This record gives sequence, C-alpha cells and structure tokens, in this order.
Amino acid sequence: MVEAAIEIKELRKVFSKGRDKVIAVDDLSLVIERGEIFGLLGPNGAGKTTTVEICEGLQDPTSGDVAILGSRWKAGGRDATAIRQRIGVTLQDTRFFEKQSVREVLTLFRSFYEHGRTVDEVMGMFSLEEKARTRTTHLSGGQRQRLAVACAMVSDPELLFLDEPTTGLDPQARRQLWDAIRDYQAGGGTVLLTTHYMEEAESLCGRVGIVDRGRIIALGTPTELIATTGGAHIVEANIEGISSAISSEELALLPGVEAHTLTEDQLVLTVAAPHLVVPGLINLLAQKGMSMDGLATRHASLEDVFMNLTGRHLRDGESS
Amino acid sequence: MIRLRVLKQVTLLTFTEFVRTPGSMFWTYGFPLVMALSLGLAFRNSEPLALRIAVVESDFSAAQLDALRANQRLALSLLPRQRAREEFDRGRFLLLVSGSAAKPGIELDPSRPESELAKLHVWRSLQIQASSEPQLKIETIDVVKPGSRYIDWLIPGLIGLNLLGAGLWGVGFNLVQMRVKNILRRMHVTPMRRSEFLLAFLLSRLFLVLPESAVILGFGAWVFGVPIHGSWLVITVLIVLGAVSFTGLGLLLASRVRTIETVSGMMNLAMLPMWLFGGCFFSVERFPELVQRITWILPINHFNEALRNVMTEGAGLFDSSVIAHVGFLGGFGVITLGLAVRLFRWS
Repeated sequence: MVEAAIEIKELRKVFSKGRDKVIAVDDLSLVIERGEIFGLLGPNGAGKTTTVEICEGLQDPTSGDVAILGSRWKAGGRDATAIRQRIGVTLQDTRFFEKQSVREVLTLFRSFYEHGRTVDEVMGMFSLEEKARTRTTHLSGGQRQRLAVACAMVSDPELLFLDEPTTGLDPQARRQLWDAIRDYQAGGGTVLLTTHYMEEAESLCGRVGIVDRGRIIALGTPTELIATTGGAHIVEANIEGISSAISSEELALLPGVEAHTLTEDQLVLTVAAPHLVVPGLINLLAQKGMSMDGLATRHASLEDVFMNLTGRHLRDGESS
Repeated sequence: MIRLRVLKQVTLLTFTEFVRTPGSMFWTYGFPLVMALSLGLAFRNSEPLALRIAVVESDFSAAQLDALRANQRLALSLLPRQRAREEFDRGRFLLLVSGSAAKPGIELDPSRPESELAKLHVWRSLQIQASSEPQLKIETIDVVKPGSRYIDWLIPGLIGLNLLGAGLWGVGFNLVQMRVKNILRRMHVTPMRRSEFLLAFLLSRLFLVLPESAVILGFGAWVFGVPIHGSWLVITVLIVLGAVSFTGLGLLLASRVRTIETVSGMMNLAMLPMWLFGGCFFSVERFPELVQRITWILPINHFNEALRNVMTEGAGLFDSSVIAHVGFLGGFGVITLGLAVRLFRWS
C-alpha cells in the first residue's frame, strides 16, 4: 500500500512570547491521501500557516508526529533533503531575487532538483513565455504568483504546498491558477493549500478542513460540510432592531428553519426551501409591527459552516 | 556533498544580482580608485620646499645679497627693516637676517627644525662669499625611487580595504537582506544545501574581487608608477586568501542576524578596528608595542603586510615574510567559513 501524502498526528506548536504562551496548533490530526487537493480553510491566525510550515520542514513542532510521503523531518538529515526533492512549495510572502529574469529564476530552482520539467515546459504551463526575459520586479501580482507556483512545480513534485496562493489576485488570474492546480492534480499530484477564500476551497478542493484556534473543527468535502448546516439555502433579512423584538425561541418555531443567527439588525436563517419559510417570516414580522429593509436568499457556503460552528465570520480574523 | 550544477547556478545568481546593481558597482570599482587618486595626490613626494627668509636689504652688500640669492634652497624676501620685523614676528618667515655687512645677525625660533636648516644655509652662503679660499665640494644626488613613496605603500592597503568591504558588506548585507525578504526561507524548502549556498557566495566574491584588485593595481601602476616586483601568481594567491578570510567573516557575522540594522552595526564594529589598526592608511608601527601585538589578530594586517612584501620587495610565497601571513589568512578563512556553515540559519 502506498503511504498517505501527509499524516499528521496530535500536532502541537506553542510559541513563547515573553511570559505569554501562544498555542498556534492544538492537537491537530489529519491524513491527506495521494491525489487529493486538500484545503485548510480558516481566518488569519487560525494556525493554517504554522501547520503547513511544519509539514514543509520550516518549523519544528512542539510535539506530535508528521510524516511526509512516508518520511519524517530530522533536522538537517538525509531524509530532509530527500523529502525536499519530492515536494514543491510556495510561501505566503512571495519575493524573488530582484535582478533576475523569469527564466533565470526558474533555471536556478530547476538546478536544485535531480528530476523535473524543463524550464520552457513550466513557462508554458503558466503562460510565462512572453515574460521569460522580464525581471521579477517588473511582473504584475498575478504573474509573480504564477512564477511562484511555477518554481514550486519545476521539479514535477509529488506533493505541492500552496500557502494562500491566490491572495490579492483578480478573479481572472485566480481562475488561471486554479486551472493549473487542477491540471497538476489530473497528472497524479497531491496538493495541500491554505486559503481564506471559501469560493476557492469550494471550487478547488476535494476535501476541506476548517481550522480555528489551532484545531480542525470540521472536515469533509465542501458539499458534506455545507450539508451540516441543515439546509442548502440561506435567508438573510435586514430588520432594524430585530434582536430586541424577536426572541430566539420564536424564530426556532418558524416552520422550515434549520438554524438561525441573530444580530442587532440582521437575521440569518439556514433553510432547506426558502419559498416555504419566507411567508412565515413575513407574517411573524407583521404581528410584531416590523418591516424588512431588505431580503436576500443564497446558497449556503463554507462561510456559513464556519459561522454556525464559531459564531464568527471567517474574515473577522483579518482586522485583529 | 556539493553539486557543481547548483554551485554554478547560485554563483551566477549572486554574481549577476551584484553586477546588475549600479550602486554596488561604484562602491566596488569606482570608490577605491577615487581614494587612491586623492590620497596619492595629497601625499605625493613633491619638490623640497624653499626656505622662506626675510632679509633687511639695506644692511648688506650687493655681493652678499647675490650670494644668498644663488642658494636654491632659500626663498629671499628683501624688505625694509620695519616690515621685515613685523612679518617675521607674525611667523611668515623662518629667519630674520639683519645687522651689517661685517656682522650679520640671525634671529630664529630654535624649536623649528626648518629654521635651523635655513640658518645653516644662510651661514654657509655668506661664509663662501666672504672666504677667498677654495671650498671643499661634496657631490650630493637627490633620490626619489618608486617603491618607497606613500602611494607605493597605500595601494596594497587599499586592495586590503576593498577586499574587506566586499567581504563584509557585499556578502553580509546581501545575505541578511535575503533573510529579511524571506527569500532564504524559500531556498530552505528546496533541496539546496547550505554549504552549496554559502560556497557559491564565496565563489561569486572571488569572481568580483580579482578583476577589482587588478583594476586598483593597474591604476596605481599607470597613474603613479607603483611597481610590482613580486610574481602575479603569488599576488593572486594572496588576494584569493584575503577574499576567503573576509568573506568568511562576513558570512559568519550575518549567519543569524535578522535585521539590516543589526548587521550594519556588526559590520561597522568589525570594520572600525581594521581601518584604524589594519595598516591600511598608515603604518601600525606608529602605535605602542602592545597595541601592535594585539593588532596582529586582525586578518587585514596579515594581508597588507604580505602583499606589500610581495609587491615592493618581490618576496615569494614561501619567503618567511609572506608564508606566515598566508598561513594566518588561510586558517582564519577556514575557521570563519566552517563556523558560518555551522551557525547559518535560513530564517
């Protein structure tokens, strides 16, 4: 039997900042099979990057066990170099040597590996041929990101780590990268990526792990996870002063409501069939003498899964 | 195990990163030449200065004044008594010559050696003029030989300083910058080994410093006629060893530093004693004996001393005035490089 691509057991990582101890990863266990595109989804500071960097051999775990393609990192040992021959990595902060051209950067990275694709082949995969002679400082954000992934793929790795690969990209550049990642998977590759874009996780990943405060709080295919919210649809209504006028119990009694979240001016219902729920809601509001400022229904997303589990928005972490 | 393919690519990388930065090209190639030119001109061996003396014209005979004028080393000012006195008191002249034709008098400040010298010249010229007897002629020849001038001494020191600057700033600064930008982290997740990486840094330095040193040597020879008596091969060996030592020091200092500010401070701290006590601009022999002994731990002293012995005396690699320094530089390079590879951190 072939080993799993990544096997993480009871991983913990504690940072000491002065007297304070910050638990970045808290007893996290996870198995990623070969051929998967697996996404770690969560707000900033959830522990995604720390987990991935431990897998990449960039950080040492405080405790726990990590096996990459059946091998383990031992500081600076022979195994480490052997693992690095088989993996490709992009880091969150992508910067290159400034005075080098695209071709030179790829040639450099290619020289590190025993096996791999030719530089021309990789430039073709990421539509970088026209930029072959352009210095990295003169590339656009999307081109730079493509170059970063190209560097990770120049060795034709068995396992690819992508840390927020599409952050800051426009939709078209994002889609281009997604296509490249899908092609890589179609060729038998395995991907572990982190993202805080739920669309990215939903459209790209076979399985998703939602990470919060160093733990995986939900794991499964995007469809499975969305199904756990109880309904496939979300009804959002904006009503001034709703939280003081209507109680949680009253909402739960509404027919067809699977789950709900109530904030000061907003009501979010998870439902199976919006057309059956909305009339009841309007009736209830009429009884209370309130009116809606707006109503929207949409398909449930991983964002809603996260909200149901934590009561917070995925993006909340960004401001803090 | 070092893979040549990787070594070649990373050397090419660090080399081109440097060459494509115009600023660093100036500091490497332009700056030492500017320094050689300005110091060479400022301290050039000029004609001996004439000795300025004031003579009260009315006190002496025409023959006496002619005799004084005939002395090439004296710059005479023939003045009225009052003015001669005033200007001498203001320190504009070394001597005030007055009195009478029969009994000349000389006033001078005995603490100024030049005044004593001027007194002797005046005294001798007047003696010759007064005496009818033939004088004993002593033939003197003025000698200014290339090899013994300040510029001849300075050029090897400038090469040493340049190697030092290239090794510390060129390597240490760039390395820390790559660490700050997380480029080193990206390198770390590849199968490239740190020995390959650091060795490539060293190699790219060698490719830079050899032509750089040749430029300084050529400039010295062309503009100032600085002689090179020793063999080019030995000079090359010395430059390579110097570059290895200083690059080793640069890599060691930068092996773990995470900010540009810190590494700048460390570099300056390492540079300062080498500038002051490294025998680059002036000889270490000016310092007290104890200080001289301590300064022998500075690699730049060994480099400068060995290069001077080779250039001006034509010493060979295995001469006692060279081989000990070569040994020191080699040892210093091996130790610093070894420590750097050991201590180096990617992030």
